[in-house]
Amino acid sequence: MKILATYNIKGGVGKTASAVNLAHVAAGRGNRVLLWDLDPQGAATFYFRVKPKVKGGGEALLTGRRDLGDVIKGSDYDNLDIVPADFSYRHLDLMLDETKKPLARLRKVLSSVADEYDYVFLDCAPSISLTSESVFRAADALLVPVIPTTLSIRTFDQLDAFVDENPDIVRKLKILGFFSMADARKRLHRELADELRQQRPELLATQIPMDTDIERMGIHRQPVTAISARSRPARAYQSLWDEILERL
Amino acid sequence: MSEFHKFVVDGSPDIELEELAIHLGLHETEAEELERRFFDTPDGRLHAMGATLEVRNPVEYPMMRSLVWMRGGQVLASGRVDASFAPGFAETLPAGPAFDRLREVIEMRRLLPVVEVRSRLSVAAYLDSEEKTNARVMIDLPTLPDGRPLPAVLEVRSVRGYESETDRLLAHLDARDGFDATDLSTADFARSMLGAPPFVPSKFSVHVEVSASSAEVWVTVMRELHNAMIANFAGTVDDVDSEYLHDFRVAVRRTRSVLQEGRDVLDAGAREHFRAGFKWLGDITTPTRDADVHLLDYPHMLAALSPQYAAALAPLGELLLDRQRACQAQLATDLRSAQRAQLGAEWAEFLAGDGPWAGRSTDAADADRPAREVVASRIARAHSRLVRDGRSIDAQSPPVALHDLRKDAKRLRYLLECFGSLFPAEVLAVAVRPLKSLQDVLGEFQDTEVQAHALADFGRQLDDAGSSTETILAMGGAIEQLSVRSARARREFASRFSNFDGASVNDAYDLLTNASKKQRRKKKR
Repeated sequence: MKILATYNIKGGVGKTASAVNLAHVAAGRGNRVLLWDLDPQGAATFYFRVKPKVKGGGEALLTGRRDLGDVIKGSDYDNLDIVPADFSYRHLDLMLDETKKPLARLRKVLSSVADEYDYVFLDCAPSISLTSESVFRAADALLVPVIPTTLSIRTFDQLDAFVDENPDIVRKLKILGFFSMADARKRLHRELADELRQQRPELLATQIPMDTDIERMGIHRQPVTAISARSRPARAYQSLWDEILERL
Repeated sequence: MSEFHKFVVDGSPDIELEELAIHLGLHETEAEELERRFFDTPDGRLHAMGATLEVRNPVEYPMMRSLVWMRGGQVLASGRVDASFAPGFAETLPAGPAFDRLREVIEMRRLLPVVEVRSRLSVAAYLDSEEKTNARVMIDLPTLPDGRPLPAVLEVRSVRGYESETDRLLAHLDARDGFDATDLSTADFARSMLGAPPFVPSKFSVHVEVSASSAEVWVTVMRELHNAMIANFAGTVDDVDSEYLHDFRVAVRRTRSVLQEGRDVLDAGAREHFRAGFKWLGDITTPTRDADVHLLDYPHMLAALSPQYAAALAPLGELLLDRQRACQAQLATDLRSAQRAQLGAEWAEFLAGDGPWAGRSTDAADADRPAREVVASRIARAHSRLVRDGRSIDAQSPPVALHDLRKDAKRLRYLLECFGSLFPAEVLAVAVRPLKSLQDVLGEFQDTEVQAHALADFGRQLDDAGSSTETILAMGGAIEQLSVRSARARREFASRFSNFDGASVNDAYDLLTNASKKQRRKKKR
């Protein structure tokens, strides 16, 4: 079981869209996929029409009072299951802080379903906190969507600095950055993307375009890869998944 | 886990299902007319796990052909395939982790076409107020390719986490006439209607009456083994896959073992005659089985080597394949020979008590004794011998001591397998488990030694044929890998034997063999 977390310190960069669509693409290829919506806003949960409620809240899961398997909900798609968001996740840092070995906790909780899934996607809330550190320890790779804007790139640098300064937390974590919400019509996006690619050749080649089809996900409450598998963003997510597999 | 329910729809399924869909507000998501070709292994592994594997060919979109592996209403793996695709061995399946799981199930067996049907298949969603799918309902209206209708099937699979929401739907189906729960699949119905032959089970099982006499039980067991030989004969001759020969050989070896244990139970003349006959039959199958084992092990051998060495071993792969083909051709000839046919006919007559064996009186002293008593004494002897020989093996013992012990273990195992139903299952399980574990390590030690010798021989052949230095070096690497495995098995032996020779296991054997306290004390010494 590989654990992949869509993560960025900054919000609104396409983390949830990436988690939802990549999970759908991976499941569509016959992999057994679990998506855990760790963001109390519950956008991923909303897209899959699941109620954002976990009995006993996040605390029950973290303390082991409730098995992760008991709260998993099937999606409308074969091989794709969801751990819904819960409003209590807003206190996840506090809950983790009260557990033994908080950094190892998330991985331990996920280990109970290790035989059931090939890939787990963690859709993280934007922050850098104890929860993120626990995610870093649990995950095999961070999928980091970056909008080609100055501010977004700055947060990528902050993540890099954190990784450099905390090798004991990140261990063998792979950082897979890719451009998201890229608007080819904007000169600034093109220039910044080119500049950043030169600085960071390890960035994934695929970029997810800014596209109204992605925005329509909220109306259809479906992944864009399900609404229109041949659309430009859907093809971009499929190609992104191919690249991620090569790097894993 | 999601729940799965299946129903056969009686009466006029079209009308019944339409009414049902309207009543429950089902939302149809897919509807297709399909040509479906189902596949399974010769021993029905997919059927046994409640799964199906099929190539689906949409009638309206023949280019959208797909391979679909399903269980419990859930797609476990699917992938597009082209018109020329036909599943066979594991390597013919599409790449990816989902089909890797299917590869693990079928192992070395070949997937064969089982049956063809034509279906009007529709899938509907049972939605909640959020329009979230709580259950999927699949409706299958199938016919045979010649148009004969098969039972209409309705499947309900609740989505994980929404099981209770599906109750209303299930309650409705339970209350409604014409919907009968079933475990059978459309492929099962088609096989049944066409009178398709049963799968050939790899696992041997025979039930014998505890109160029966030894002579009756021996013949019952030998008949079942004969049936296993017959079931695997054609697949062995045609080389459908290596497991047919494996199972055929196991049936022959067990028959030889049962004959060996049949002293004072069977007619002495017949026993000697057939022991010689089945020894011959076993011997003619050995070169092909050895060649099969080399071929089956070849990919593992490559995986254990560096990519450079693995690439250099390609000539060995070709040599092994040529050798297997040559051995198989000879085996097919031998199995079609008059000598084999005569053995088969004589054996069938003997088991039926006909022909030259009819009315032949037996002076065998144990023939009329209760089978359980006689088998218990055979088990006691085989167990004592295995324990005695095993205890005498230490780190300095020559390899032949372990090879001989392997034969002892096999003898005991065959007794337990062939006559197991005479004994309580729970005691038998305690006796068999550590024996199997011991046999695994003895088998690994023997196999790696034999393979290392064979590889050295192949190396000389390749050298004589002018193979490159890299190939010869790679052969050396492969032999070294086998030596490592052999040494590991040798080290592992002591703990496996100690487990087999433990108090709880010995107690289980004492219970099986009704050993007296005095005998038990003697054994412990």
